Amino acid sequence: MSFRIRLLLPLLALFVVAVGYPLAFSFYISLTNYKITNRFDVKFSGLDRYADALHDSAYWSALTVTFTFVLIAVFLELALGLCIALALQRQKRVRDFTRSFLLSPMFITPIAVGLMFRFLLNQQLGVIPTLLSRFGISYDFFGPARAFFSIVLIDVWQWTPFMVLLLLAGLESLPRQPFEAARIDGASTFYTFRRVTLPMLSSVLVVAILIRGLDALKVFEYVYAITRGGPGTETQTIQYYVYNTGITFFRLASASAMAYGLLAVVMFLVILLFRRVERARRS
Amino acid sequence: MKAPTRGDADGSGLVSHGPWAILGKLLIAAGFVVVAMPLLWVLLGSFKTGAQLNDPTVLTFTPTLENWNTVVSSGILTAAGRSVIVGVITVTLSVLVGSMGAYSISRYKTGGSATRFGILAAQVLPPAVLVFPFLALAYDFQLNDTLAAVIAAHLSFVLPVVCWFLIGFFDAVPIALEEQAMIDGLGRFAAFRKVVIPQVAPGVGAAAIFGFVLSWNDLFYALILAPGNSATLPVRIAGFNTFRGVELGAMCAAILVSVVPVLTATFFVQRRLVRGISGGAVKF
Repeated sequence: MSFRIRLLLPLLALFVVAVGYPLAFSFYISLTNYKITNRFDVKFSGLDRYADALHDSAYWSALTVTFTFVLIAVFLELALGLCIALALQRQKRVRDFTRSFLLSPMFITPIAVGLMFRFLLNQQLGVIPTLLSRFGISYDFFGPARAFFSIVLIDVWQWTPFMVLLLLAGLESLPRQPFEAARIDGASTFYTFRRVTLPMLSSVLVVAILIRGLDALKVFEYVYAITRGGPGTETQTIQYYVYNTGITFFRLASASAMAYGLLAVVMFLVILLFRRVERARRS
Repeated sequence: MKAPTRGDADGSGLVSHGPWAILGKLLIAAGFVVVAMPLLWVLLGSFKTGAQLNDPTVLTFTPTLENWNTVVSSGILTAAGRSVIVGVITVTLSVLVGSMGAYSISRYKTGGSATRFGILAAQVLPPAVLVFPFLALAYDFQLNDTLAAVIAAHLSFVLPVVCWFLIGFFDAVPIALEEQAMIDGLGRFAAFRKVVIPQVAPGVGAAAIFGFVLSWNDLFYALILAPGNSATLPVRIAGFNTFRGVELGAMCAAILVSVVPVLTATFFVQRRLVRGISGGAVKF
């Protein structure tokens, strides 16, 4: 066996055990009536669980909630992250400390962030609603039609730093000459940003949106810590719905079929995006 | 080279004065407040009694250690210890196996672009797809509610990320280094271990820390695979979820138990981490 194969083999083996096997097994579960209490008497049920999922309005609602969440949260994080990255790039003094400090939310355990904001935004005991009520504003952060947006804001608090990190790395790797040329030509700051910075940064932007978007699809902790999907099903994200179906109601087969449905959508989007990027790169 | 203009001390072409710069400074200042306030409030809350917590705006009070006593005696430190064990084993396995594999993929293009895409695609998999097989397997081997199940599950997301980073780092090592080492009489594996690995050591460190943070922060897998006696720190912290004023202080203290170690650790290594992420992740 050649050297390169011998080096790769342990990785391949571990990959098969930790990723390949579960992936295949999950697909198998989704085609059966698998129950955790009844593991040795499994009957095939074909694509029935998939048909169930397609006719399950809660599944569609969870998908809608999740994708709306991803769109709004990633858009806000991108806009805010870009502004902060540009500001940090200009900063000259106490650079390292400022960066470390502003990036810190992304390293905090998400469940702790969820509980923290549950505490801060709580209607009776939270400091923010209490301060708002001093100004005569009564705002229930986790009430109907508001809880969803509060969850988005918590995500923005925790993950904008990640956007900043990627965009800052991108900004600092850009060549300097175009900026100097723009300055010598007397271009305004805003014009330079729109016509020089943005176009050169576009590939980093795509990567940042992709990484963050795929990660935001997995949102679970804030929902688990704060709303448990409520009020109604307004904040029931797909990850939480699958968790509930599989763990609370022991319907592993249905849960696996739902998860595979999500995987299909995600893969479709990823391949679509990659083809776009490839085409843009070629032309 | 012409002299930099005023306010452009490092010649970066960016000026540090004018309306945009002031706006930028305001934004950074606002960022500081937004990041610091919630954490400070939780810190204050962890020293308040139940009665003081009922009025969230109280700023001056006699601090109490009661909450911290409650949290420490609840066995949260044992849970933290379990999280460390899971993280260390997961990361060690990932780095050992991943560095060899990543080197093979980077230097010899083993498996072509398919292996690279496979490693990338593994990071996209929703945890909801993988978790139930782990649960079923854990039951089959009577490993449910053990750390072994959690470690196996954590490998499924730490291994691809660590590999992805390492491939990027190995790509950046000039091939001439190994050629020289082999001319000097080292075997291929010795050249890899003694010459290439030291070159990427900072990157390996960054990847290891990043992998550890991912493992340390995971709730989803740990909650499903080990909700009881082998609960990791995030699972235990989720257990402090409460609405009752008396227990809010303990919840604050529990939050801090998970936040403080990670923030301290990442604070010291962040420069390296930032460089590692920008070197490894932004390239596609």
